[in-house]
Amino acid sequence: MDSPASSSSTAPGVAPAVPQSSRTETTPTLIDIQNVDFAYGDTKALHDITLQIPEKRVTAFIGPSGCGKSTLLRCLNRMNDLIDGAKVERGSIKIRDIDIYRPDVDVIELRKRVGMVFQKSNPFPKSIYENITYGLRLQGESNKARLDEVVERSLRGAALWDEVKDRLHTSGLGLSGGQQQRLCIARAIAVAPEIILMDEPCSALDPIATAKVEELIHELKEKFTIVIVTHNMQQAARCSDGTAFFYLGKLIEYAETQTIFMNPGNPQTEAYVSGRFG
Amino acid sequence: MSDQSQHLFSSRPSARRRAESGVAWIFRLATYIILLAGVVVFGDIVIKGSRTVFQSEFPFINVAFLTEAPKSLYVFEHEGEHYEMADDDFRDFRESVEAQALAAGEPAPELKAKTYVYSAGGIFPNIVGTILLVVGSMTIALVLGVASAIYLNEYAKQGAWVRFIRLAILNLAGVPSIVFGLFGFGMFVIFFGWNVSLMAGWFTLAFMVLPVVITASEESLKAVPMGFREGSLALGATKWQTIRKAVLPYATPGILTSSILGIARVAGETAPIMFTAAYVVRDKLPWQVEQAMDFFFQGVMALPYHIYVVSSKIPQNEYSERVQYGTAFVFLAIVALIATSSIILRNRLRARYRW
Amino acid sequence: MKRFFDAELETFRSHLVLMGEIAVRQVRQAMEAVVHSDLSLADQVVAADDELDQLEIKIDEEAIRYMNLRSPVATELRLVIVGMKASHDLERVGDEATNIVRRVAQLSSEPPLKSYVDLSRMAAIAVAMLRDALDCFLQEDDDKAMAVCRRDAEVDAINKQLYRELTSYMIENPATTTRALAVMFISKSVERIADHASNIAEEMIYLARGRDVRHTEDTKNPNAG
Repeated sequence: MDSPASSSSTAPGVAPAVPQSSRTETTPTLIDIQNVDFAYGDTKALHDITLQIPEKRVTAFIGPSGCGKSTLLRCLNRMNDLIDGAKVERGSIKIRDIDIYRPDVDVIELRKRVGMVFQKSNPFPKSIYENITYGLRLQGESNKARLDEVVERSLRGAALWDEVKDRLHTSGLGLSGGQQQRLCIARAIAVAPEIILMDEPCSALDPIATAKVEELIHELKEKFTIVIVTHNMQQAARCSDGTAFFYLGKLIEYAETQTIFMNPGNPQTEAYVSGRFG
Repeated sequence: MSDQSQHLFSSRPSARRRAESGVAWIFRLATYIILLAGVVVFGDIVIKGSRTVFQSEFPFINVAFLTEAPKSLYVFEHEGEHYEMADDDFRDFRESVEAQALAAGEPAPELKAKTYVYSAGGIFPNIVGTILLVVGSMTIALVLGVASAIYLNEYAKQGAWVRFIRLAILNLAGVPSIVFGLFGFGMFVIFFGWNVSLMAGWFTLAFMVLPVVITASEESLKAVPMGFREGSLALGATKWQTIRKAVLPYATPGILTSSILGIARVAGETAPIMFTAAYVVRDKLPWQVEQAMDFFFQGVMALPYHIYVVSSKIPQNEYSERVQYGTAFVFLAIVALIATSSIILRNRLRARYRW
Repeated sequence: MKRFFDAELETFRSHLVLMGEIAVRQVRQAMEAVVHSDLSLADQVVAADDELDQLEIKIDEEAIRYMNLRSPVATELRLVIVGMKASHDLERVGDEATNIVRRVAQLSSEPPLKSYVDLSRMAAIAVAMLRDALDCFLQEDDDKAMAVCRRDAEVDAINKQLYRELTSYMIENPATTTRALAVMFISKSVERIADHASNIAEEMIYLARGRDVRHTEDTKNPNAG
């Protein structure tokens, strides 16, 4: 029986076993979160979070609204820096063994390696091409051939190429909601990150568009480590390999997705996944 | 029979319904009163002004009024004829009359003319001056205003201090324009020693419209979805890259909208330029300067100040009225022109950066 | 539209088909071992039963995982449920085949009591039923499935007849009791195999139509009264 995250020695801190179907070998830990406390000013949002996120797998954060799952996600690329008074008060978050809150860490470099896709698809009101090349141009890339290549590769990677290849220079806003979200994913992978954070990427999409994005997530985990926050438990069940359940800023349970949904160790997890609260 | 006509949704007279239609009429009336006032004011200026600006014969526009400097009008009788002419024409006329008399061996007749200052010629220097004042002060106001709006909205840590700055800016908007005039006079004309000059006028006007520009720019920046900033930052952009590429382009149409209001205000104010930039009369046009730097430190004539002068500083009569209304009409037309071109620019940008 | 977990469903389906194939093979080989008193074949059948057991576990795991993570609905949901039930039936079929071959040693030590014609006929019908039931799964042919259910009565009839016959043997000559009982057990097992085949057919009808035909008139043999 798993105990809540308060004692880091037990199951929640341990990377979950690998689902039997897809992979047979365990992948190494990529993101190592140790005893993290996080606060917005005086309001504490995360309490003593410890979990390890393995490489090239999909890890889902679930939990009721305000449970801290998005906050934790935004800690991973320091998007929380944008909010005045928000800070990690204790603990460490390491990516490839480097504490990303160390003073000598350049947030710009961090965010190049840790991409993000947001709840509301937010393509820039520019052409599809410019959307994809935005990140590279920021880094000073201006070689047309190279940009063209990245655009095609990214759009293919986001399973959008066939749909938009004939209108690369039309506005990204002319696309449907689901296509826009995939455009955002393409934009994120264009800068070749290692990790992609997804903050409820499908909450504004219809079921078909959602299915396409989920399909994409499944393909992306071949190359990227994905952390996804979702309200949709079926989505977590469908796409993720590991699932972490948060409640009131605490990590209640972290295990292999199948375990969380089949045989959760904690009664709160069970109540949440069976829809009895949250 | 009444039972038959009554049904679930049939209307029943009530105080509520009467109040409803009454209130709608009050609002309607208020709107029409304003419309009427507007039509009367504009109609008056357009009708009276167009008599000065337009004429019945070719080229239908009073070219002299738009291209010449203000002159004095000489009105006189000569050999039974009534003449109205500007000072230089009068001088030529008198010389020719005198020359004729000399040739005929007669004593030169004395032309008894009444003079009316500023009632002849045109308002070209005033137009130029006003355009220079508007362009210069709006440039300064936009640069300063947008910069500080970006700072307040994007960089500054939101807190008591920023709230205080905002409050101060809002209060600045409530300061009467004459006070800005005094401030400009004390600050730029006297303290900086710029004298009555374009520079002093630009900065005074710019400071006057800054609150409008800052507030509106901040609103425009706030209206740009947070998602653009997050999306950009998440791709590894710096803050400035984000602002320049993902925020500012989309805020520009809004900023321009606000600056259009600013243009009308800047162009129209008399008080701030009265002490700082405006000359009643100046012979030279602004570009007739010896050194480039002199350009910035010269006073100019301006339309609103001219209207003020011709309506209150000179004896009023039929001739001065022509100039007053003509100037007002041209002034309105110019403000409308600048505003229209800004709106066109804004709409183009909006079409390009629509989201 | 294709989904990334469609492959899981395909694996599930193919495991079920594979299990069916193995079950059919087991029954066939078991009968062969009986008829030819082939002890080594009998051992082979016993050994192979483990395959079925493992497959049943695998299918259950896959079904549970699919229901847990993919929230199946409609046909998919029926497939997963039917798959679990059918795999259980098939596993039982395997067990019956093992039960059958366990009698081979006994029978081969003595001369045959009588020719195994009836037993073979019965087994042939049972195997055909099993085959048809599996074909129904592959072809989604529910008419064929109804036919399978009805044939169950034939097997029951042969079983009853054999029972009477063997009982009379035992009464006439108690020395035949051991052999008669062995044959009786085999007959019973074959009858059970036919029952499982008929269950599977009913499950296939449920899969195809979403309608439960168990214990209804549809599946009863009109001649069986």
